[in-house]
Amino acid sequence: MKFSVFQVSRQGGRQINEDRMGYCYTNGSGLFLLADGMGGHPEGEVAAQLALQTVAAMYQKEAKPELPDIRGFFSTAVMAAHRRILRYAIDRGLSDTPRTTFVAAVVQGNVAHWVHCGDSRLYFVRDGELLARTRDHSYLEQQHGDPSVTIPAMAEANRNVLFTCLGSPAKPVFDIAGPVPLQQGDKMLLCSDGLWGSLDDTDIVFHLGQKPVSVATPELVELALAKAGAGSDNVTVVAMEWETPNAFEETRGNVSTHQMDDEVFASTVQAGLGEADDGDLDDAAIERSIAEINAAIRRTASRKY
Amino acid sequence: MSKVKPSPLPPDTVIGGYRIVRKVAAGGFGLVYLAVDPDGQQVAVKEYLPSSLAARAPGELLPQVLPEKLALYRLGLKSFFEEGRSLAQISHPSVVSVLNFFRENETVYMVMNYLEGAALQDFIVTARELKQSKVFRESTIRSLFDEVLRGLRIVHQHKMLHLDIKPANVFITDDNKAVLIDFGAAREVLSKEGNFVRPMYTPGFAAPEMYRRDASMGPWTDIYAIGACMYACMQGYPPSEAPQRQDKDRIAIALARLRGVYSDNLIEVVEWCMALDPLSRPQSVFALQKELSREGERRYTKLTVAEKVRMQFDNIVSDKQKPSAPTAPAGKPR
Repeated sequence: MKFSVFQVSRQGGRQINEDRMGYCYTNGSGLFLLADGMGGHPEGEVAAQLALQTVAAMYQKEAKPELPDIRGFFSTAVMAAHRRILRYAIDRGLSDTPRTTFVAAVVQGNVAHWVHCGDSRLYFVRDGELLARTRDHSYLEQQHGDPSVTIPAMAEANRNVLFTCLGSPAKPVFDIAGPVPLQQGDKMLLCSDGLWGSLDDTDIVFHLGQKPVSVATPELVELALAKAGAGSDNVTVVAMEWETPNAFEETRGNVSTHQMDDEVFASTVQAGLGEADDGDLDDAAIERSIAEINAAIRRTASRKY
Repeated sequence: MSKVKPSPLPPDTVIGGYRIVRKVAAGGFGLVYLAVDPDGQQVAVKEYLPSSLAARAPGELLPQVLPEKLALYRLGLKSFFEEGRSLAQISHPSVVSVLNFFRENETVYMVMNYLEGAALQDFIVTARELKQSKVFRESTIRSLFDEVLRGLRIVHQHKMLHLDIKPANVFITDDNKAVLIDFGAAREVLSKEGNFVRPMYTPGFAAPEMYRRDASMGPWTDIYAIGACMYACMQGYPPSEAPQRQDKDRIAIALARLRGVYSDNLIEVVEWCMALDPLSRPQSVFALQKELSREGERRYTKLTVAEKVRMQFDNIVSDKQKPSAPTAPAGKPR
């Protein structure tokens, strides 16, 4: 497996950068991630970080070296990330939960899959043409091309408002796409709304189609920041280019996994906010906890200090 | 969202074989009742019923959890279990003990020994109203914290930290025993560092590292809180918040003012416990116990007139919100 990858996150005029990005890979599979912590709720950057960590940790556990079931992985990993954020809010006693958008792509076995929740996007470009793009979970985007979708009066005022994300008390809505067979030179770009809010799709596709990702990515980010001016949102992009091994001259910043052992796992996702958790408590887990505690009480009572 | 607090279980309700006598406390996690077990023994029963997530109509037994809050409600249970797990491992007169844990009414209950008395917090408030130079006598402070530290040492031996030690969580029983209560924030952390989420903190008693995401916590974190509790027993008021101390540390000044009232050794112990740098504090409860129990005549160094004047001056300046004037080193009158 061979691909080149480039990622960059730039703080706009905002107080903090709540965007998080990263990628990890084994010798047979690659995962690309991006999350944009939401303002208006506490600790968006924590939600974004937890989402990345949780999904990356599950990926590391399951990609040995390939994921056996990519769609299944996306479903469980996204829900695990969601619950991880809720648990964080509970443990901290936060009155409101941190929230984040999320987009991720997996390439393995010469096909791509992706999942998204909210308005962080994935652009799939082949030969300078936009082959696919995620549709945001906003009223505006979902109505697009479908006049039967009615927009609630509240959302009419700001049609970019999202109706789903990770970390909200409501169960997240997410869409999984794929498999899409990969060809030499195919490019996938994951970005926060800081990029597409400032640049048109045509600009993004044009730049991405013309140059290697290591050139196009920083250029696009600078362009978006310049266009949005002093009040720019944070702009974060992870872009990858698929390369058929030895079919073409190498681009810069490439990753070749052929030399890697099966056990090797590489990741740019930083750990640090506590490990991914086992998630929800079901009835059996509650009974087990109670039994454990009572056993501990009996043990302690029989022991003398 | 309902702002209505969940109704307590009515008196004489029997749950898990315990008969409810009355509600004694309510917090964010739920309710605490005085109850009697089948042998007529008094117990405290803590009911998991977070008011922000669940409601209960008067006279009802079952809580109503809104469907969209169910996931959070279940997750909150984990913290409740955490407290049960922590306490279940410890049996010590200075640590509240858990007797039973059971599930009923679609929620869970923790049975603990019932303590009669009042929180240290209440004693401090009462004592400071007397407006005397000493809030508590020094011998009282020493023996009180000797007991608390015995309990805390056991907690640390079980690789746990309390992380919310404050006068409201130190209970003084009617037979004059100090007992550490409320392990809601406790986490088994010493064995698995980095794998835990930071709990909420109480301003004034929380060590500076509790405000930071990257810092490591340890026995020294609880020891800071112990120092802050001792400070509150001497001063009558909680110390200023750790982050404020980084800018201008009023604690050293406040403690200096207590010279001559409390022994130099006690003041030094509090300063040691409350050092902003975790490494400058006693690193273990044992080290602190050793210092606190040191025998020997107590030395009292009264403030000199010059120091008093300078303090007065410092006060006036700070009252006017101006930067404080530099003062000469303490103890060397000009």
